[in-house]
Amino acid sequence: MSYSYLFKYIIIGDTGVGKSCLLLQFTDKRFQPVHDLTIGVEFGARMINIDGKQIKLQIWDTAGQESFRSITRSYYRGAAGALLVYDITRRETFEHLTSWLEDARQHSSANMVIMLIGNKSDLEAKREVTAEEGLSFAKEHALVFMETSAKTAANVEEAFINTAKEIYQKIQDGIFDVTNEANGIKLGPQYQTGGPSRPGAIDSGKPPGQGGCC
Amino acid sequence: MSWRIFKFFESEELKDPDSTNSFHSLLSRPNCGITCFTCGRGQMVLGDSQGSLHVLTSFSDILSTSAYLLRVSLVYQMRQRNVIITVGDDEDLMPIIRVWNYEKLTKEGIPTLSRSIPALIPNGRQSSVMVVCAHESMTLMAVGFKDGTVVTVRGNLMRDRLSTMKVVHSESTPGVYATGLGFRQVKNRTILLISTSDAVYTVDLTLKTETKLDSIGCELGCSTMTDHTQDYKFVIARSEAVYFYTPEGRAQAFAFEGEKVLLRWYRGYLISVVYGARGSSARAAAKSGAKDVMTVSVYDIQNQFVAYQMTLNGRVVDVVSEWGSLYILLRDGRLIRLEENDTKTKLETLFKKNLYPTAINLARSQSYNDGLIDIFTQYGDHLYSKGDFDGAIEQYILTIGKLEPSYVIRKFLDAQRIHNLTDYLKALHKKGIANADHTTLLLNCYTKLRDIDQLDAFVTESHSPTFDVSTAIHVCRQANYHRHALALAKKYKKHDSYLLIQLEDLHDCDDAMEYIARLKFRDAEASMIKYGKLLLTELPDDTTRLLQNLCTDWLPRGQTPRPEDVVPDWSDPALYIELFVNHRHHLTVFLEHQISTHTSGNLRDVIFTTLLELYLAEIGACRTPEERTAKEKRALELMQRKNATFDLDHALVLAQIHDFKSGILFLYEKAGLFQQILQYHMEHNDYQSVMATCKRHGRKDPNLWVQALSFFSSRRECKGQIPEVLQHIDEDQLMPPLMVIQTLADSQFSTLSDIKPYIVKHLQKENEQIAKDEQSIRQYRDETGRIRENVKELQTSAKIFQMMKCSLCRRGLSLPAIHFLCKHSFHQDCLQDELEHECPLCYRDNRKVLDIIQRQEQTAGLHEQFHSQLQRSPDGFSVVAEYFGRGVFNKRSSSKSPGSSVEQRKA
Repeated sequence: MSYSYLFKYIIIGDTGVGKSCLLLQFTDKRFQPVHDLTIGVEFGARMINIDGKQIKLQIWDTAGQESFRSITRSYYRGAAGALLVYDITRRETFEHLTSWLEDARQHSSANMVIMLIGNKSDLEAKREVTAEEGLSFAKEHALVFMETSAKTAANVEEAFINTAKEIYQKIQDGIFDVTNEANGIKLGPQYQTGGPSRPGAIDSGKPPGQGGCC
Repeated sequence: MSWRIFKFFESEELKDPDSTNSFHSLLSRPNCGITCFTCGRGQMVLGDSQGSLHVLTSFSDILSTSAYLLRVSLVYQMRQRNVIITVGDDEDLMPIIRVWNYEKLTKEGIPTLSRSIPALIPNGRQSSVMVVCAHESMTLMAVGFKDGTVVTVRGNLMRDRLSTMKVVHSESTPGVYATGLGFRQVKNRTILLISTSDAVYTVDLTLKTETKLDSIGCELGCSTMTDHTQDYKFVIARSEAVYFYTPEGRAQAFAFEGEKVLLRWYRGYLISVVYGARGSSARAAAKSGAKDVMTVSVYDIQNQFVAYQMTLNGRVVDVVSEWGSLYILLRDGRLIRLEENDTKTKLETLFKKNLYPTAINLARSQSYNDGLIDIFTQYGDHLYSKGDFDGAIEQYILTIGKLEPSYVIRKFLDAQRIHNLTDYLKALHKKGIANADHTTLLLNCYTKLRDIDQLDAFVTESHSPTFDVSTAIHVCRQANYHRHALALAKKYKKHDSYLLIQLEDLHDCDDAMEYIARLKFRDAEASMIKYGKLLLTELPDDTTRLLQNLCTDWLPRGQTPRPEDVVPDWSDPALYIELFVNHRHHLTVFLEHQISTHTSGNLRDVIFTTLLELYLAEIGACRTPEERTAKEKRALELMQRKNATFDLDHALVLAQIHDFKSGILFLYEKAGLFQQILQYHMEHNDYQSVMATCKRHGRKDPNLWVQALSFFSSRRECKGQIPEVLQHIDEDQLMPPLMVIQTLADSQFSTLSDIKPYIVKHLQKENEQIAKDEQSIRQYRDETGRIRENVKELQTSAKIFQMMKCSLCRRGLSLPAIHFLCKHSFHQDCLQDELEHECPLCYRDNRKVLDIIQRQEQTAGLHEQFHSQLQRSPDGFSVVAEYFGRGVFNKRSSSKSPGSSVEQRKA
């Protein structure tokens, strides 16, 4: 399928907050109550439509466990958006947000759009973190905030699509340089009409042997 | 912190099959270090440190060739052709790449050496070859060197000319070496994936671009290409994880820890060999220094579990797949075969551990579709037994179409689980395999749950009904969800149900009327017959109007008028008459409308008869004479309509019941019952009318006069009429005078004077007749006497023929001549053409007489005819006289006499 843009996302957060389930709900529209631990990094993709433009979202779902941090860190680079997820029924996942945010800011491009997600909103009875707390954390760190439920699919679409809208807006405003793939944005095939001759799009100008694009 | 580990492979160490030329004897040869190992196309290929190449088509069938003088360092087997590429040394200067064609063997049975290429980097540098890979098109090969350079060789690999070598990648950092190569075809672009000891690159050979995918590399042997199950990704293994790459960039990564020795791909499985015992961390392995303990793991990437894991004492040279199994070759010459279990066995293992989701994924990835339903069922049963009804029903829903629904329904037939049951039934309906019972059950669930929203959704659902509509309507109706039943009925055009609900449950006649008005002709007709009565009671005017339309020119409301040339549908009004019980007025209106509309005379007589009955009934109810006159006039007009058709008997009965005089007379006349008309008038003593009737119809039924006569004669005051009647009787000779006199004689009132002129007239007439007859008798008597004399003369006296001329030609008679007794004479010649026996001149008259006699004789014998004639005839005497005249009583012989004239002619 052809697309105008490809946005790369990364989903981060403590283990067991529902990152993989969010992805599964967004890409497959289903919920799996028992989910194996994510080992390493997995990914999914889905087409969305913003302002009549087809946009492909390529989403990295990372392992939340501390021991995998070294592997997941390398995936921050080249992501245009990040979903920072915590579990509203487990306070500690909320308290770890700062360290995740630090990680993200450190390893990603400065323009990366980060959305704060309080997941498991269906478990209202077990709530430990209020929506107000989440909102104030988001305001403090200039993030967009939303509570979702991967189980009921509440706000899941919105979380991914709103992030994409924000990235799209940044492209329109010229904040993102779409020609630099390190920003996690790629032009669709039909937009690369110039092919290899287009300077900067692909590092064809460099003689072989000088290394990669970065 | 890893995936679940299963044992989906059976391992078996292959023992020496006790043969001299076996695999084991090869491995046990002294100083024979196996350096490289590959397989494909039904054979295994090994290279050893002596420069020999061994090709095994089975474990006891080995073909060994000396390929290099010093050693073989790499072998590469093409997938689609039986061609092997080797790298080795003849001398220590530079490695040589050789292409062996196993499809063409030399006389000695050795594969042909197709090509020999020195492995030189184009710029003249020398380095040893680390890795080699060829494109399946056989026109492209890539060679990775120890200094990190990657070179492509283009041109037909099978022929020794026209090849161009080109550097596609080179390293500036010293100490970096090429570790893995892989070709990939994306549409028409050929892409080469390269892994070095510290990075991963993708080189688009068509577009001539190079991209660095990642700045981490891998060791030799720790990269591979996946197959279609993982979309032909390039995989590298590092100690912390395994990374996947597409030509565009990174894909997923799995944190399989351990210092990797080998990475291989086998039919959807990723096989990795790491140092150390199973389960021990990399660090522990390094600490123990046990380089000779290795763990082989087989990962199912798609379903995310470890299909097999085993720890081996010994160094693994390679893991290859051939002959349907996996083979692990150890440096010490041991060979271990891993045989995969079949899907069923694997699933059973998973079931035992209640790992149903994994089983489902596994079955899906192996396209084991037949078994899937079983798994869903088992999983459903398992969840059910654990009390997870929501989860169980989800599984059961997946079995729809295969598993008998009643199995599931029975499990959930409990008020507590009605929600689950509802979900299941909903799914059944969505798939369109629900039967009437399921529909009933589902709707009952909805109604029991008071789930109006769902019910609404069900009603307004898709256009094609996936359920039994009548049942659904019935259930909704029973549960007092009339609105839903109504919506269903309307949607699926169950007009009957719709009206039934509307009228019987909701009592909304206006809506029902409106609904019928929108129906097509046939439906409207059926609906009206069924519900017309009810509607008439509630909305008489509207219903009557609708019926009028229905019986004349039906056009569903809201439809465009039909073109002129189409004949409009119309229903037989007779069907609806019975609906108007107790609605006389409306029936009158309705029927009047019908009669005035249908002028072509295609209405049944029952319409007219009914209307007449209505009219007559009104007459009966009239108070004032004026009113009565008006009504009678109307009824008569109806009867006199040109196109009116009546059941006459019925109409007559009606008219008589209601004493509708003019109607009765009209009907009598119409039916031709003139006697009755007369009778009627007589009964009413209407003498003028009696006379008029006789005059009007006397011609058609003469008996009227006779009756009139007897009637008048019995009335004192009617003497005036008798002469007129008598005149008519006389003119038409309706009665013999004797009977007239007799009739009048019976009367008490008539006197002789009344009939004197009549009698006189008749006597005169009879006298005249007698005179006439007597004259005739005399005449006949004379004639008879004459004939008698003639006969006598013929019999007794001689006849003199004295004719001089021939009666035919009128010339003088000459001999031969023929004379007849009738005094005609002829030339014989003249008679030639005529009959000789009879006189041609008298023949005709004679014949006539003879014929009459003959006919009379014939009929004389027919006694039956005589009797019947006698019976039928009004004047028996004349019949008898006639037969007597014919000679009924004569003797047979006497009839012969006329023939005698012939006998006598020759005299």
